[in-house]
Amino acid sequence: MTPAKHILGTFDEALSSLRNNVLMMAGLAERTLDRAVKGLLQRDDNLCTTAIADDEEIDQLEKQIDKDGVDVLLRFQPVASDLRRVVAAMKLSPNIERIADQATNIARRARKLNRHPPLPEVEIIVPIQANAMAMFKDSIDAFSREDVDLGRAVVARDKDLDYMNKMANRRLTERMAQDPKQLRGYLNLIFVSRCLERVGDHATNIAEDAVYAAAAEDIRHQTVATAT
Amino acid sequence: MVSLLEMPQTLPQQLPRQNDRPLDETESATIMIDVRDLDFAYGENKVLHNVSLDIPAQAVTAFIGPSGCGKTTLLRCINRMNDLIEGARITRGAIHLGGVDINAPEVDVVDLRRRVGMVFQKSNPFPKSIYENISYGLRIAGVNRRSQIDEAVEKSLRAAALWDEVKDRLDANAFGLSGGQQQRLCIARALAVEPDVVLMDEPCSALDPIATAKIEELIQDLKTRYTIAIVTHNMQQAGRVSDHTGFFYLGKLIEFGPTTKIFTNPSEKRTEDYITGRFG
Repeated sequence: MTPAKHILGTFDEALSSLRNNVLMMAGLAERTLDRAVKGLLQRDDNLCTTAIADDEEIDQLEKQIDKDGVDVLLRFQPVASDLRRVVAAMKLSPNIERIADQATNIARRARKLNRHPPLPEVEIIVPIQANAMAMFKDSIDAFSREDVDLGRAVVARDKDLDYMNKMANRRLTERMAQDPKQLRGYLNLIFVSRCLERVGDHATNIAEDAVYAAAAEDIRHQTVATAT
Repeated sequence: MVSLLEMPQTLPQQLPRQNDRPLDETESATIMIDVRDLDFAYGENKVLHNVSLDIPAQAVTAFIGPSGCGKTTLLRCINRMNDLIEGARITRGAIHLGGVDINAPEVDVVDLRRRVGMVFQKSNPFPKSIYENISYGLRIAGVNRRSQIDEAVEKSLRAAALWDEVKDRLDANAFGLSGGQQQRLCIARALAVEPDVVLMDEPCSALDPIATAKIEELIQDLKTRYTIAIVTHNMQQAGRVSDHTGFFYLGKLIEFGPTTKIFTNPSEKRTEDYITGRFG
């Protein structure tokens, strides 16, 4: 939803710039996560290194968003939906930054895995990555479009991702017992799965903030029964 | 101009006094002023349309809205200041103060205005000493004992957070005070006659940020004892000082509710547009 024009054009510009930086940061984090997982699946160290290098730009954007957010609060003292949009933008950016950190962790684990013969169990990561990435994209869409229903749906999907991570852990732990020589490799895959599960948690936070920005509703820390 | 305190008295009817009642846990939910279905017109020009709201006791209620929306007119209805304007009249509805219709013929308007004090946009001290500014209303009300007046002057000046600044120069002309001090003197003058309600019409619009902060702190302090209704164009001020906020537009009350709700998630789009600066 695009709000009507503000009487101060500079406010619209400042809010728009803040929002665009959040969306740009999300786009970069998405690309980094994609590169890190491809680096793992395709055994491509270059992709992993690029993913790790991308993190710096995302860190800088996080600082920029904080600075711009404080600046908007200071200069314009926004209220109502404007205030919620600024607060949400400032709360989104640390979550996006942590998603990028998870991507960096995955890329580092991938480089370690790439030094050893391939493990067929790496395929376990594919559906987990697909779900985590979809949650992240949808949470950003929920923020961007101020789509409350989509935000709620993302939050509900986190349990599925948790379950997939749990199943992956169980399978990889079994393989560690069966094939102790590859213990380090399986351990790295467990960490990768855990990183993707954390991406889901951050996407959930983003979706919750998106719902707050759009509808002034705090849906954090609700049981399933009260969330609907 | 006819002094409010010199206006002819009709049959005196004692309005119930908030300060006579013991305070209890439910006090904050007590309604002090009940505005119901109010229409108001200046001659043929209708400026308030079907306004209904409850102003809670011992809380600050802010009226916001663009110029000409009727918020000051409503404020002035509460102590019948509009009686002084020819052709101005309530055409429908009523205002009750503590359950009593303030426009009922038997209500003594002087008594009403003593119970419902008013502070204006521009400070308007009398061209007299600081002491006399406060004592004037008391003398008009029939208080003549010097010790009683001294006590009331000190009490009012303390309540208005002005005592420490003027206690050594009570005989000095009030015009020698700064703008912020003059405004606090006017508040002290209103408090001297022990009102239940204090109406404030943009009390800080002519003040610098420090004087404004002092008045805002004072409002917070006063609300523990008085019911306060304030008209302000400063949205941040309404957010800071008030517990409830009413948004007016074109003579209609568009939305009324807890200030936190109005400023974070208003129900009406017109309220949202106005407070976020997207009006018109």
